[in-house]
Amino acid sequence: MNLGTRGALTFRLGDYNFAVRVEEAGGVLDADRLAQLPGVAEPVAGVAAFRGEMVPVVDLAGFLGIESLAPHRYALVLFRGADRFALLVPEIPRLVAGRDLREAPPEAPDPELSDLFESTLVSEDQDHYHCLNYWQIFESIIPQTAASAARDVHAKRTR
Amino acid sequence: MREMRAEDDVQQGGSSPPPAVLVTLLAVLLAGAIAVFASGVMVWVGVGALALGAAYFTSRSAAPKKGVSDMARARRLLLLLDRGGSTDCKVPAEFTNEWATLYERVNKTSFEARTGGSALVELEKLRKQIELAVSILDKDKDPLAEARELKSSVLEPLLSYLQPSDAPGASVVSKMTLGEEEELIGSGPDKLPDDWPKPASGPSSAGGPSSAMAPARPSAGAAVGGGHLESGLRDLIREIESLRTTLSGGRESEAPHRAEDPAIRTPAQLVDAVVLTAADGIEDLAAGLMRANELASVAERVTNRATLLALNAALEATRSGSEAFAAIAEETRRLAEFAREATDTISRLSSEIEYKVGETITAIHATSEDAKNSLAELSGWAVPVPNAARGARVQVVRLLDRARELLSNLGAAPAGRPGSPSESSPNPSNVANSMQDNVQNDRPTADKLPLEGIMLIEGLKPGANLES
Repeated sequence: MNLGTRGALTFRLGDYNFAVRVEEAGGVLDADRLAQLPGVAEPVAGVAAFRGEMVPVVDLAGFLGIESLAPHRYALVLFRGADRFALLVPEIPRLVAGRDLREAPPEAPDPELSDLFESTLVSEDQDHYHCLNYWQIFESIIPQTAASAARDVHAKRTR
Repeated sequence: MREMRAEDDVQQGGSSPPPAVLVTLLAVLLAGAIAVFASGVMVWVGVGALALGAAYFTSRSAAPKKGVSDMARARRLLLLLDRGGSTDCKVPAEFTNEWATLYERVNKTSFEARTGGSALVELEKLRKQIELAVSILDKDKDPLAEARELKSSVLEPLLSYLQPSDAPGASVVSKMTLGEEEELIGSGPDKLPDDWPKPASGPSSAGGPSSAMAPARPSAGAAVGGGHLESGLRDLIREIESLRTTLSGGRESEAPHRAEDPAIRTPAQLVDAVVLTAADGIEDLAAGLMRANELASVAERVTNRATLLALNAALEATRSGSEAFAAIAEETRRLAEFAREATDTISRLSSEIEYKVGETITAIHATSEDAKNSLAELSGWAVPVPNAARGARVQVVRLLDRARELLSNLGAAPAGRPGSPSESSPNPSNVANSMQDNVQNDRPTADKLPLEGIMLIEGLKPGANLES
């Protein structure tokens, strides 16, 4: 089945498996030392440097209300155009090739969260990975205007 | 030579009066002269002088000390033998009767022996006989009674009238210096043959002409022998002390040394020292393990970074679809996996070593406590006393068996003295039985045996009177 993707980075939060398509994944970085930001909402864990840019890091488990015992040590960077943000994950994501995955209807554990679930990827081992609308989550935390304004300021300075 | 003969004449009571007589007579004359002036005192002085003179002449008329001269003669004969005789040797004046005959014979035999042959054998035989006689005389004993071979020898007529009480004079010759010996015998112009018999072995045998005096020097020999004996006794005492120390476990000798020397420690202290040394070593090992763990964590971080690098490379390769990039990403991933396996192995080994070190520390502490307890038991009285008590118990049981046997042999076991109440004098057989039961049941200790039982055992020794 052609998923329209070459693969996905998978990770686990609590009892749920999640996946990020490689087309929107910018990379993975070590998040041992995050810079804390004062006066921000709780799901934002801080900012991290990724390839010379400051990237906000969002605690996805905290946003979804998933209790994760493992400490979050890595950050999975997502990008959309010039916008980037990172998801805090407890372990190094695993890269799964697209040929080993098939797409299934979204399986939202909570009807209130059904808008956030885009689809479900099923591996050959019959593991189900939830694909979320991560940018919607990010924009719900940090308004797009604020993010765009910050991006414009950064662009002017680098110019 | 003339002076020595004069001395011998004095010793034998010769004809010339000594100067003491003249002094005495002069004293008498002087006393008479003084008496002219002091007639009262003159009488007493005259009486005193006469008394001194009488005492002197009385001592002069006593039996001559022929033993002194006999010993001197005997030693001269030995010297004559060892010198090999002399052609111009004349019999000394003091060698009278049998001594003169013997002197001539010794001189002749010694001189003939210079040419070897049978005379040499006879000379050696004669020399040994004289040495034997002299040695016996030195011990103040009768040579003829002590040595049978002397009875049939040429010395027999001489020795027959020698008295052992005369022997003290031997020191006169034995203490002579070499020069005096030369004067007695003469050095002799001729050289002796190489096979000339040497005097009996002794410390002075290598002393040339004086070696003939070797057997006649008991004082020197005794001094040397006494020195050996003294050193031997000291060695023996040291060995006994060492054995006693060994048997006593070295407690008596070690105790003061422990107090003086801090390097000498008790077994418990030694155990502590061993444990401390082991603990120090293990602490060093633990510190090394901690350092290894730190390095392992650093390696783990490097491995994680490598894994991230491999993942990002794979991500970029997947997103771009470049096979070359995918190959590089795959190699990077393998490298990261290899590094992770190595890191996991290091971490696992480090954990195992840490666990084993912990176990070793626990075992050392447990062993230390056990060793201390064992040493406390061994060094205390817990072990020797039971052994001694066991041995004493066996002895008591044997004595009791012997007592019962004696009682049975006596036929009727007396219940004490006739007419005495049985309470005050217990039945020996019953006492023996009860004591044996007690001993075998290990109820009383050996030093707490009933007094009557001990008295009974002592009284029932073979040959002892039971009534007493």
